[in-house]
Amino acid sequence: MEQLILDLKQQIIEVLNLEDVKPEDIDENASLFGEGLGLDSIDALELIVLMEKNYGIKLRDPSQGKQIFTSVKTMAEYVAANRTK
Amino acid sequence: MGVFIQSSAQISIQEPLCNNYVTKPVLHDEPYVRAIECDYKAFIDPISARRMGKILKRAIAVSVTALKASNVTMPDAVITGTGLGCIENTEKFLSAMTMEGEEFLQPAFFINSTHNTISSQVAIYLKCHGYNNTYSHRGISFESALMDAFMQFETGSAASALVGGDDEMTPGYFALLDKLNYWKKSAGGPGAMAGETAVAFVLSNEVSPVELSGVEILFKPTADEMNRRLTAMCERRGISIGDIDAIFVGRSGDVDGDRIYDAFCGKFFPDREQFTWKKLFGESFTSPAMGMYVADELLRSDRKPLLKHVLVYNHFQNKDHSLILLSKC
Repeated sequence: MEQLILDLKQQIIEVLNLEDVKPEDIDENASLFGEGLGLDSIDALELIVLMEKNYGIKLRDPSQGKQIFTSVKTMAEYVAANRTK
Repeated sequence: MGVFIQSSAQISIQEPLCNNYVTKPVLHDEPYVRAIECDYKAFIDPISARRMGKILKRAIAVSVTALKASNVTMPDAVITGTGLGCIENTEKFLSAMTMEGEEFLQPAFFINSTHNTISSQVAIYLKCHGYNNTYSHRGISFESALMDAFMQFETGSAASALVGGDDEMTPGYFALLDKLNYWKKSAGGPGAMAGETAVAFVLSNEVSPVELSGVEILFKPTADEMNRRLTAMCERRGISIGDIDAIFVGRSGDVDGDRIYDAFCGKFFPDREQFTWKKLFGESFTSPAMGMYVADELLRSDRKPLLKHVLVYNHFQNKDHSLILLSKC
């Protein structure tokens, strides 16, 4: 799980072009949206693309997103349970 | 009511956000050079910048710099000309479509692949809710934006405007144009040196040292049509063609394109002083913005005190021609 969390942090930094942010700067339990990393709805779309492209996960129920993208840790848990690649 | 240039700023293949090109020009031997970037963190926080390509960062940096140098805090209009818009992000988006079989497309690249992103992003950054437009008409994109601004002033719709000319040159697009012999391969041969342009002008109806006296855009003009439009533009300013003291011509070193400038200057201004800018700033769709920048700077300086009226003349593939008349006040 630790490696998956690190991978996700690196991928988030890359796809969201978070210049000057390092993986260790991201608290895996902190909120991704709002106060934490301060991401917005367009970033949510980028994360959905990331999940599908890198892990073969298609989010069919939009209401799931809020829970899945709560933090890097919740993302990692969902990826670990649902990944197809 | 006149239209006056209050201030300007540039990012190009010369040192950015300054006029060091006058005394310490950066000389380039290669036909393809990217712009010299400034420190964008001084203008845009990293979170806001994360979705911006180079062209947007440059447009915002020159806009903010020009506004700070003027007494205009919030322009009535933001108008931009760009030949290709955010081509770097467009290429990323199209490449992803090809590589990923039209799946996994990243929304930020798509958002920034539209041309009108530039003016809108500048306006969002400035929190400017006024008139907003981006013109994308290949070699006359900047002049179209400038003409729009000019008409906004003439109709009283705006008392101030931020007008920009922005284009980036990606390796991919350079390579495509290179196949068409667009870029110089040998000295004395066809082709020009590529450049990247990001220029912003703050215009207002408050008197300043340099007035934007006229803008004309012509499509495949005959010599008679050019004469008629040039004469009419001068008459609107209350002068004649003979009162124009110097010409800034868009000579790029491309032997074919330069013949057009030779013919124009030979017919209308055989004995007038000529200046060029593309040898320092390169060629791009919006390079006439660079020409106006250089002309404005020279009029403000004391290097040529006798200059009163100057004309910036450019053509794009001998189809689209533009005339920009500047006057010292």
